[in-house]
Amino acid sequence: MSRPAHRRPEYHKINKDLFVLTYGALVAQLCKDYEKDEDVNKYLDTMGYGIGTRLIEDFLARSCVRRCHSYSEIADIIAQVAFKMYLGITPSVTCNNASRNEFSLILDKNPLAEFVEELPAGRSSLCYSNLLCGIIRGALEMVHLAADVTFLKDRLKGDSVTEIGITFLKKLDEKKYRRKK
Amino acid sequence: MAVCVAVIAKENYPLYIRSVPTESELQFHYMVHTSLDVVDEKVSAMGKALVDQRELYLGLLYPTEDYKMFRKLHNSYTDVMCNPFYTPGDRIQSRAFDSMVTSMMVQVC
Repeated sequence: MSRPAHRRPEYHKINKDLFVLTYGALVAQLCKDYEKDEDVNKYLDTMGYGIGTRLIEDFLARSCVRRCHSYSEIADIIAQVAFKMYLGITPSVTCNNASRNEFSLILDKNPLAEFVEELPAGRSSLCYSNLLCGIIRGALEMVHLAADVTFLKDRLKGDSVTEIGITFLKKLDEKKYRRKK
Repeated sequence: MAVCVAVIAKENYPLYIRSVPTESELQFHYMVHTSLDVVDEKVSAMGKALVDQRELYLGLLYPTEDYKMFRKLHNSYTDVMCNPFYTPGDRIQSRAFDSMVTSMMVQVC
């Protein structure tokens, strides 16, 4: 029996509260395991990287996005397609510099931090949702784009919005791929 | 309108207690403990019936106003519980919980 040509991608949904509480438990445990905020941030980023390198395959399979021709197209797709697909939110995108390789994703609300009122005492430089930075970085690397992704602003730290900065570094050599055709 | 709001842990100590006016806190402590006894009575009287959100309220211990207040309180309490940095058994120090309680307290000028 042959598979139908265009099969609708199946979305297996889970309860959002369960997901948010699981993430919270992860961060709380890391905070117990590591004294320094920098270490917790680093491990969240590393874990996110591992997720991103895998998630990109799922994303490309489900979203059918076309090849991008500019960094700003990529930033738009991350915000409008990827964030929407996985977190149900659509951050707005701004370009931060004239050479058009630094972008910001501005999140009005951050579902991962829904139950966190504020960072606990002694954890003022914790980037609670740093997993997201790792995920974006890992996913971009798998499509041959090197980028630095960090939190520029965070509501949990008292800022008015949550802002993720993506700085695209030099493109990883993909011209080699084209020549193989 | 409330004069005292208290959240009691299962080990019978208060996680959160606030009263207006603030001087009568000890009095309210006693009242809270007495009401715990009434709660125990009611719970054992209910037997093994399934408890849903409404019945957590146990019908008013004394006949007074609406149970929407309890609902609000309970919702704020679950929000506090969901904070990953809050350990059950700690005193409740959430500002959101405080401001919800303030909105419920009697205004004494």
